[in-house]
Amino acid sequence: MSAPRRALLTGAALLAAFGPAACVSPAWDDHDYALKAGKTAEAAASAVQLARTAVRHEDGTTRQYLKVVLTEAADDLGNVNDQFGGVQPPSDASERLRGEVTDLTEKAEDEVHDLLDQVRRDRVRDPAGAVRDLGEIAGRLSAFAERHK
Amino acid sequence: MKKLFAVTLGILTAFGGFVDIGDLVANAVVGSRFGLSLVWVVVVGIVGICLFAEMSGRIAAVSQRPVFDLVRERLGPRAGLVNLGASFFINALTLAAEIGGASLALELATGVNYLLWVPLVALVAWLVMWRVKFETMERIFGLMGLGLVVFLVALWKLGPDWGELAHQLTRPPQDEGLPTYFYYAIALLGGAMTPYEVFFFSSGGVEERWTSKDLVTERANVFVGFPLGGLLSIGIAACAATLFMPVEAVPDSLGQMVLPVAAGLGKVALGVVILGVFAATFGATLETALSSGYSLSQYFGWQWGKYVQPARAARFHVVVLAVTIVATALILTTIDPIMVTEYSLVFSAAALPLTYLPVLMIANDPDYMGDKVNGRFSNALGMVYMVLLLVVAVAAVPLMLATKAGQ
Repeated sequence: MSAPRRALLTGAALLAAFGPAACVSPAWDDHDYALKAGKTAEAAASAVQLARTAVRHEDGTTRQYLKVVLTEAADDLGNVNDQFGGVQPPSDASERLRGEVTDLTEKAEDEVHDLLDQVRRDRVRDPAGAVRDLGEIAGRLSAFAERHK
Repeated sequence: MKKLFAVTLGILTAFGGFVDIGDLVANAVVGSRFGLSLVWVVVVGIVGICLFAEMSGRIAAVSQRPVFDLVRERLGPRAGLVNLGASFFINALTLAAEIGGASLALELATGVNYLLWVPLVALVAWLVMWRVKFETMERIFGLMGLGLVVFLVALWKLGPDWGELAHQLTRPPQDEGLPTYFYYAIALLGGAMTPYEVFFFSSGGVEERWTSKDLVTERANVFVGFPLGGLLSIGIAACAATLFMPVEAVPDSLGQMVLPVAAGLGKVALGVVILGVFAATFGATLETALSSGYSLSQYFGWQWGKYVQPARAARFHVVVLAVTIVATALILTTIDPIMVTEYSLVFSAAALPLTYLPVLMIANDPDYMGDKVNGRFSNALGMVYMVLLLVVAVAAVPLMLATKAGQ
């Protein structure tokens, strides 16, 4: 086997190995798009629940630690939004679905960013209220994910 | 206390297998998604690593030569080179992840971004490997890593439904597909039996100058260290199953996976667990970097080890330094350390037979082992494991592709 061919095959193998988790495939039809929307909501619900659990137990954490966990949750939500935003909706119906899910994920991202700002300054002002709000958003995201499994 | 010090090599080695950066997060992911339904894999992993680590430690004690040294001699340079290539690649990947993991632990403690800690962690690790005695190194990081025991206390404080946890042992969740279930099973087994453990453990035995008279110490290290690592790994999964599974949250970072400790026990315990995570990942950093030096030096027949002056094992120390620099550069590209180690777990699973077949062969060779060759039970179990590891090796990469790395 020639050296360029070997290099090409090695590259293809590495791409096959590392590629799956790193990129988003396009949506082929409305059903495929709805499944992707459901997966997006599921991932966002998980990130929101992690932030909610951290805030619920914030008296058992340090400020530095809480900052790291909320930053991760905010980053996760940002990635979820960016990845789903890169998938082209194949029809008007999918476009409406996109609006529905991104409304929720962007609201979740804003909420977590707001908490992060509070922690950067001092502590979470109203932990009980934050737990309630995050719980409500997570519940709506989970319900959306359940409808589009 | 003396008895505890005697088994720190086993404890430190087991950290690499059960609670290094990849395993810490993988255990939490598994617990939150599959409950305790994959505990059987950890048990299979504990039995397997105890079996083969005992063989490799016995080889080192009887022949006073580490496993890799004998692999080349017994299998020839070509087969030895394949083994070396696979294990060196996995070592370097894992080392990068461990440096990232220790830096992430410092970020949790200080709030300072982990990338700023990476060069410092690498520098301190190199200084420790260069200057600190092997026994001192294993005692400090082996014992500090025991801070992870707080996971077991936190589990009790979280007050789980023990009946539900017991129920999960035999029932995988219905909404997770079988391919994903088996992908994580392979990742856990790959982590538990990761190849560098036996290279490090047998080289450590030579560093500690074990002889046939030390077989009791060798076995104590194996049968205390690895089961302890496995127990911690089950404790982490159980904590995740208790706190995260009911709310369908899947932790994917070091910060998130220690949350059950903060929730169950508060700030002091959170500090202890972060210290434990740092010690385990920093210990695994030393383990993987030294294993790279050990395997390459032993293959080429260079003087190696920390039991001689650095000047007398210059090439060994250069390899350790070079691989540390390369791993540091890799992690400074901002590649996710957790992702690196998750892939390395699967590649590690694919390379398992390459590591363990030579160990089984050498442990049966009376030319090397005299009357300390394997007994019938060890051989029978060893053969069963070889079949299992072959199946795992064949299935690892296809399952990774089919499940999009467990998504």
